[in-house]
Amino acid sequence: MTLAPALSTLDSLKAGQSATVVELAPHAQGGIDIQRRLMELGFVPGERIRVLKRVLKGPLAVKVGESTFALRRFEAALVSIKVD
Amino acid sequence: MAVMEQHTAARTPLVALLGNPNCGKTALFNRLTGSRQKVANYAGVTIERKEGSFKSPAGRNFRVLDLPGAYSLNAQTPDEGITRDVVAGLRAGETAPDAILCVVNATNLRLNLRLVLELKRLGLPMVLTLNMVDVAKKRGIEIDTAKLSQELGMPVVETVAIQSGGEKALLAELDRMAFTAPVKANPLSAIDAVPVEETQREVRRILAAAVSTTKDTGNLTEKVDNVVLHPVAGPIILAALMFLIFQAVFSWAGTPMDLIEAGVGALGEFVGDLLGDGLLHSLIVDGIIAGVGSVLVFLPQILILFFFILLLEDVGYLPRAAFLLDRIMGSVGLSGRAFLPLLSSFACAIPGVMAARTIQNPRDRLVTIMIAPLMTCSARLPVYALLIAAFIPDQTVAGFLNLKGVVLFILYMAGILSAMAVAWLMKRRSEFKQQALMLELPAYHWPQPGALFSGLWERAKIFLMRVGTLILTMMILLWLLSSFPGAPEGATQPPIYYSVAGIIGRGLEVILAPIGFNWQIAIALVPGMAAREVAVGALGTVYALSGGDEVGDLLAPMIAESWSLATGLALLAWYVYAPHCLPTLATVARETGSRKYAWIMAGYMFGLAYVAAFIVYRVTLAVTGA
Repeated sequence: MTLAPALSTLDSLKAGQSATVVELAPHAQGGIDIQRRLMELGFVPGERIRVLKRVLKGPLAVKVGESTFALRRFEAALVSIKVD
Repeated sequence: MAVMEQHTAARTPLVALLGNPNCGKTALFNRLTGSRQKVANYAGVTIERKEGSFKSPAGRNFRVLDLPGAYSLNAQTPDEGITRDVVAGLRAGETAPDAILCVVNATNLRLNLRLVLELKRLGLPMVLTLNMVDVAKKRGIEIDTAKLSQELGMPVVETVAIQSGGEKALLAELDRMAFTAPVKANPLSAIDAVPVEETQREVRRILAAAVSTTKDTGNLTEKVDNVVLHPVAGPIILAALMFLIFQAVFSWAGTPMDLIEAGVGALGEFVGDLLGDGLLHSLIVDGIIAGVGSVLVFLPQILILFFFILLLEDVGYLPRAAFLLDRIMGSVGLSGRAFLPLLSSFACAIPGVMAARTIQNPRDRLVTIMIAPLMTCSARLPVYALLIAAFIPDQTVAGFLNLKGVVLFILYMAGILSAMAVAWLMKRRSEFKQQALMLELPAYHWPQPGALFSGLWERAKIFLMRVGTLILTMMILLWLLSSFPGAPEGATQPPIYYSVAGIIGRGLEVILAPIGFNWQIAIALVPGMAAREVAVGALGTVYALSGGDEVGDLLAPMIAESWSLATGLALLAWYVYAPHCLPTLATVARETGSRKYAWIMAGYMFGLAYVAAFIVYRVTLAVTGA
């Protein structure tokens, strides 16, 4: 048994699981700076987040602050997290 | 009155409403301006520009601009680009606003305040409007406005946009402001002077200083979402909702439709008696009243459909539907952003095609535009409703479902599935790339009856305008073509058979006979290119001119009698696909910047229509043994 926190990305969280944002990977595509927009929406290092629901092989509904955002899995994969 | 006011005030200040999506900005705009609104587009783009005016209690006049919702001035969509350019005074043809009314959702300051801090860096006069304070108070969120005002360095007022008088504090604050010389905004680079992370830290610091949550009321939205977004229950609820809507379109509309039909019939009879026999009688009764009346009768069904769409939009369900359907959208390579353009295409493909502008990737945008007209627009509803009423028996299936509603559901699904197939075919060749979603699922709220009613009224006006202009014109044109030249001596067919329209119809019949269409249908399809529902009016005119001559004869029983079931179903299949809408094709040409795509669209949709109608016609003939 180790108590070291597991490092992974947001897309691997199950519904109901919480985590803390560690960092965001840069990603710009089709003129959208996804990394920056995610940070503007509240996904900043140190922020607590929670996956509310997820669609099988589909998007995740993620609670950040008082807001809920639907993210596609590749977007969620940009967010490195520390699982509680 | 407005004229008198002009020489007392030297200049009417322009204030701009700016805020995140879902902050109640538009409700506040409506509260401030009432009906004094001008809706147009920003020059050169198809993004809606809403301007209005209002008078403060002190008697000052203001102009107010409702800017598109934005999460950031670092714009990622064309909508946000407009907002950024207007506030920065960079948009040609737009006056820079004298002050920014920054609207924030008081229940979600964590997200909303970041934009406020960003805006502040532009150095413009600002007022922070804490909207939805009533909901925030109910949830136990205590906001110290004096402290917040001190921290932000700008006046802070509380508003409840959905309540009469909820804008009072804002008006009082505007009266305290002096609008002397316009202030020039700092360059946009000022926004990036502070990194996003640091701004977010500042937001948290301000929240800690000015906001406290006294009680935990639990989160109702989350509880609802636990069911609505559930992997199993969610899709079932979505399907049930869609089903309910189509059932309601048929089962609730009966009485008002009967009333309109009876009214149109009575009017035809009354006017007919007044005019006596002759050409004028034929034009007014057979041409106009029969034609326009047969389209008008579908107003109740259109209103029922929009009642549900507006209701689901108002409570906040639509983004949830997008969430549930995103996997399917993604699997055919569509952008998450394609959902909203495609959804608006259920009202009309034209705003749908325009809304595709919010999609960044050009290839994605093109695919979305090309499939948008396959979504069942409200103009198809009269056609479907007429044919279903005529050919589908009033029968209960599976114990509780109305067969007519089931058929309508199938028609909508056929459009959606075909669109998916076309998207998949178009995307198959291009390199597969995931597109961004990042869609907010806002808190649910109770529907506002006032907003719902005005939305419905807006739809009714649009429909009646079409009936009164486009459809009326087409009906008169059709009547002219159908009445001249008259029948020759010893004619065995009704006069319309020998008219110009009859000759065209009989010519087209050669092509359309294999899919079961007669010359009457062929005639109706030609003016039907102007708009889909014109075909219904056209059939009304064609049958009034060629049939029993009984004024007020109902169209549905008439066609049920004269067409085979196979023909009726084939025409339904035809209308799922056929691009009977020149305005849509013109919009596609404009939005894609080339006629090529309009032609491709017309070609592929007519092709699909012909194939689908052919299959349905032949299969039905085989099954019914005719």
